[in-house]
Amino acid sequence: MVIRKPLNLAKFKVPKGRVIVLAERCKECGLCIEYCPKQILEYSEDYNEKGFHYPVVKAGMENECIFCLFCQEICPDFAIFSEKEE
Amino acid sequence: MRIGVFICHCGKNIAGVVDVKELVERASKLKDVVYATDYVYLCSEPGQKEIQEKIEELELTHVVIAACSPKMHATTFARAVKGVGLNPYLLEIANIREHCSWVHHDKPEIATEKAFRLIKAAVAKVRLAEPLEPIKVPLTRKVLVIGGGIAGIRTALDIANGGFEVYLVERTPSLGGHMAQLSETFPTLDCSACILTPLMVEAAHHKNIHVITYAEVKNIKGIIGNFKVTIEKKPRYVIPEKCTGCGDCMDVCPVIVPNEFDQGLGARKAIYVPFPQAVPLVYTLDLENCLNTQKLVVCEQCYKACGPRAINYLMEPQEIEIEVGAVVIATGFDLLPIENLKEYGGGKYPDVVTGLEFERLLSASGPTGGVVRRPSDGKIPKRVVFIQCAGSRDPEHGCPYCSKICCMYTAKQALLYKHVVPDGEAYVFFIDVRAAGKRYEEFVQRVMGEERIVYLRGKVSKVFQREDKLVVWGADTISGMAVEIEADMVVLAPAVVPSKGTADLAKLLKVSVDEFGFLSEVHPKLRPVESVSPGVYLAGAAQAPKDISETAAQASAAASKVLSLLSQKEATLEPIVAHVDKELCIGCGLCWKACPFKAITMVREEKREGKKRRRYAKVEEAVCQGCGVCMAICEKKAINVAGFTYDQLSAQVKALLEDE
Repeated sequence: MVIRKPLNLAKFKVPKGRVIVLAERCKECGLCIEYCPKQILEYSEDYNEKGFHYPVVKAGMENECIFCLFCQEICPDFAIFSEKEE
Repeated sequence: MRIGVFICHCGKNIAGVVDVKELVERASKLKDVVYATDYVYLCSEPGQKEIQEKIEELELTHVVIAACSPKMHATTFARAVKGVGLNPYLLEIANIREHCSWVHHDKPEIATEKAFRLIKAAVAKVRLAEPLEPIKVPLTRKVLVIGGGIAGIRTALDIANGGFEVYLVERTPSLGGHMAQLSETFPTLDCSACILTPLMVEAAHHKNIHVITYAEVKNIKGIIGNFKVTIEKKPRYVIPEKCTGCGDCMDVCPVIVPNEFDQGLGARKAIYVPFPQAVPLVYTLDLENCLNTQKLVVCEQCYKACGPRAINYLMEPQEIEIEVGAVVIATGFDLLPIENLKEYGGGKYPDVVTGLEFERLLSASGPTGGVVRRPSDGKIPKRVVFIQCAGSRDPEHGCPYCSKICCMYTAKQALLYKHVVPDGEAYVFFIDVRAAGKRYEEFVQRVMGEERIVYLRGKVSKVFQREDKLVVWGADTISGMAVEIEADMVVLAPAVVPSKGTADLAKLLKVSVDEFGFLSEVHPKLRPVESVSPGVYLAGAAQAPKDISETAAQASAAASKVLSLLSQKEATLEPIVAHVDKELCIGCGLCWKACPFKAITMVREEKREGKKRRRYAKVEEAVCQGCGVCMAICEKKAINVAGFTYDQLSAQVKALLEDE
């Protein structure tokens, strides 16, 4: 089965968000990475001061956030949120 | 008892094989037969008159007519005998055409003997016949139309204009069906939407039509005049009364998925209307693709954007019960899945498309705005190959029939393609061009001649990819050459098959289907829009592949049948129903279990002095269809179908088997 890309994709606009991570609050539970519907998050190479890998946006996917706020809702530590980009 | 036997020649159909004179002579010697004769066409006006005159003149009490199948003319002859005061159930038809002369045309002597036995059996049966009166039941003057395509809309409008209430049920979020997907219609090149959308709007605003979209018929019980229907409305997650159709929700929805209406060639959001002219113009949230689930609502962007607060994530499926007197099935067609057409690269190469997909590419309201583009890279194809009979007329694919519409729509698509891509080349592979319809042949000739489209007679053996081209290998049987065409795009005309769910619906309504799943009519010429189930009518491509003009004609025909039913005072049912002999019935309940129509209930007798109240079976006459299952299972011969009693059938069989 071939998967076809719709021909009029360019006409469809989706809301854009910018993910902001408060790295020092993160405890590496991974919920945001698991739940992001666009799968744009991954663990950082770096550690935060508590010694955890915090989420970062994958390289090249900075414009992919659709402002659904799943990460913000699911984070138990209020360590991630998204801001709407107009 | 005075029985008259009338034997029909049916021109040469019967008399050409069977010795009719011999039949008359032998039949006149049968017990209680006072008169036997033959006639060239009994179904003709003078033929019927002959029967009537003899009944009156000879005071006949019972009549046997040996002619064609009772399916053909039972009603004709019943009307004739009734005209002179004879109860039509004292008439028996011996089928000596379909059951005898047609199948034994090579053995005339044995055929004559068989015909005589059939007549003898009919005489034996009619001797035990009782006069019966039709059963009258009250009539609910409302109609259910299943399917909101052109067939359903036309039927609903015609019935509603006749003054009766109609429920028009459609499975998808909008009325319109496949016709709404088409670009232009052949042979006039009218824009499909321009014809259809006014009808959709008219149906939606008609005071007699209740349009129920995004809903399915779950269950239907009852009989002609009184059907009880359960309809399940799927949750839209948008409150229709509040939705204004503004589209603010769609703008903010972050999920983009392929649009089924555009055959996946265009996109839609998870909250959507399938196409801008949708009726009703109410958005539908497709929870399968939405980021939310019924249990977890996180993304509320549409909810926040909706001014009138029409979105409700907690909506549940809703069941509604309605009562109607008649049902029209107009469930339409689907195309054979393209994945089934592997030899043409269907489902393998993105640039092999179906006719319906090509319609979307040609449509001004389609995903490309009417510019034909390849699904793979969006380029405008400069060479297009059309392959007709992709699956049709091909027993290998299970569709030996002709899909009827493909020759015409392929010609139309090739023409429209040439209009939008004037420097493009179009090739059409065909077996035959079947253009039987008003102005159809002229249209095809114009396409072949004026538009410089190459028609190649022959089949395609293989389609495969070479770099970014599709290579079509075929045969041109007129020049006798093998052909190789390097095309940018291949358009298949897949076989037309019944729409998904037709089989379930047919089972629910006890309507028979043919071997391909299309709904069967009672008789293709005499009763073309009626199903075998009384009160259930057929319209459109669910019955057989047909184009829009034919569909509209059949839809209006179905509507007129419904109107003539509803203009009667009561619904009339055949009195061929089961009767219980209370004295013989032992109340075992076997028949109650066996009855497929649930027409039998087990009841107790009224109180009797000093005696035990006995249990016995009771038949609901209006529900009984006279199938005879109860009669076959009853050990005490206590239940009998009127007109086909145990005694009658055994007399008939005995007469068939015994030698003179």
